[in-house]
Amino acid sequence: MSEKRTVKRQGPTIDSIPLIYRHKIPISKTHRFWQGLAEGRIRATRCGTCGSIYFPPQDDCPRCMASGLEWVDLPKRGTIEAFTKVYARPQGYEHFDPYIVAIVGVGDARIIGWLMGVEDERNVRVGMDVEVDVVEVGPGKLVPVFRPA
Amino acid sequence: MMDRAETMRRVAVIGVGHSTFGVRGDVTLQELAWEAIAEALKDAGLTQKDIEVSVVGVVGTREYELMPAVPVNDYAGLTHVGPIRVEAACATGLAALTTAHNYVASGMADIALAVGVEKMTEVDTATSLAVGGRAGNYLWEFHFVGTTMPAQYALYASAHMARFGTTEEHMALVAVKNHRHAARNPKAHFQYEVTVEEVLGSRPVAWPIKLLDSSPISDGAAAAVLASEDAVRRLGVDVPVWVSGIGYSSETPNMVRRPHYVGLEATVRAAAMAYKRAGISPTDVEVAEVHDAFTIAEIMAYEDLGFVEKGMGGKFVAEGQSDLGGKVSVNVSGGLKGKGHPLAATGLSMVYEIVKQLREERERGRQAPLKRYVGLAHNVAGIGHQAYVVVLRR
Repeated sequence: MSEKRTVKRQGPTIDSIPLIYRHKIPISKTHRFWQGLAEGRIRATRCGTCGSIYFPPQDDCPRCMASGLEWVDLPKRGTIEAFTKVYARPQGYEHFDPYIVAIVGVGDARIIGWLMGVEDERNVRVGMDVEVDVVEVGPGKLVPVFRPA
Repeated sequence: MMDRAETMRRVAVIGVGHSTFGVRGDVTLQELAWEAIAEALKDAGLTQKDIEVSVVGVVGTREYELMPAVPVNDYAGLTHVGPIRVEAACATGLAALTTAHNYVASGMADIALAVGVEKMTEVDTATSLAVGGRAGNYLWEFHFVGTTMPAQYALYASAHMARFGTTEEHMALVAVKNHRHAARNPKAHFQYEVTVEEVLGSRPVAWPIKLLDSSPISDGAAAAVLASEDAVRRLGVDVPVWVSGIGYSSETPNMVRRPHYVGLEATVRAAAMAYKRAGISPTDVEVAEVHDAFTIAEIMAYEDLGFVEKGMGGKFVAEGQSDLGGKVSVNVSGGLKGKGHPLAATGLSMVYEIVKQLREERERGRQAPLKRYVGLAHNVAGIGHQAYVVVLRR
């Protein structure tokens, strides 16, 4: 292999004044989702007017302009539609071992969560049936978890 | 779709400029943008006095300058003609081009400048990745289950592999091709070739995506000067490159609400709009710069842009049909993969390359063979959160 020619130009720099963000994320309209998660339930919303199912849940239906949607529990069984194993963990997830993220079809909705009980991602298949649970993977951190059915 | 394209004025690209991409710790955002703006003005044979509106595309989430449009514009001596700031994540470049085009097409300006600039390496890599991972849908993805940009493309790769038999080798071939092209581009971030074995053996980022399937974190700028047909005539432009059709679309940022994971619907819709407005079909395109943020993205782009039928993207690259001189010469600049991906600069970097190609200004080994002189640029935000497709013709 020839020399790996890469553009990398450096020069003198000065440090900026550091800036730290910590947002307060309002959850008034999705409170019942986060509450349900703590009870091991994964909830979506359904529009009483047009029947649209929303996951992630939302309280407003832009299809028919209704608000105050009803809450429904999603089924606890589903099928893997896509997956990956995250090796390069992002900020806030550095202390986790590489984790498998999967998108799973449950009833009329799809949810995203972590696949557990499978070590090697090459053994996972699109179309695999899974059971859905909620697991506290870290202090106060609840994640939808899938296990092979 | 209401189409009022016939009431709009024709617009040509009459000048392009491009900084060297890479780690550019030697310059500030303004200084970097100036490299591209100065070259574009010179290429057009114009000065700042000729520019009636300036559009500054910058994502601006990693820079110390959080509202950078005015400083960028001022440094370039364009203080009184804008700036109109545009942001469309990784698709900011073509969004800026579209905005500048619309100023000219509508008659609000005769000559407009669009610049896309990004500095991504002023913060450390961990911070840059943390910012990128938050793109699109923070609460329900990054915050909820720790997805990242490569992980989202990897979800699509898994579905594409399962449905169509696409392989990791197919994806590696995209990296090999684009690095080969980048090795010949003196403005590219990575000017060296890689082998299939090196790509397959590089460390996993988000299975099946590996380090060498991924575009790098880069600094860079690119710019274009646009002019009306009247201005083109008045200025006596030798080889105007016409903006023949623009398409745009978007898709839900919630991965779980997407209809499938084997292609980007935003690209499909944007391409259909651009082809219709340009009055061409996908088979007319001879040279294309497509959004290969990850190698699977280029495979899906072949299909979503209509170069090959859905599912056949892996075969398309394996047969060399996307190589220089193939059915469509794709990413002859090196693409995002080899040339680098300084977010807002990328779309205008694509325009820069296509304009150079259509003018046949590239040397042997870099110039795509042309008969119809039809080029295309395809710029995607996130994983198909937004898409812009621009058809350019000589």
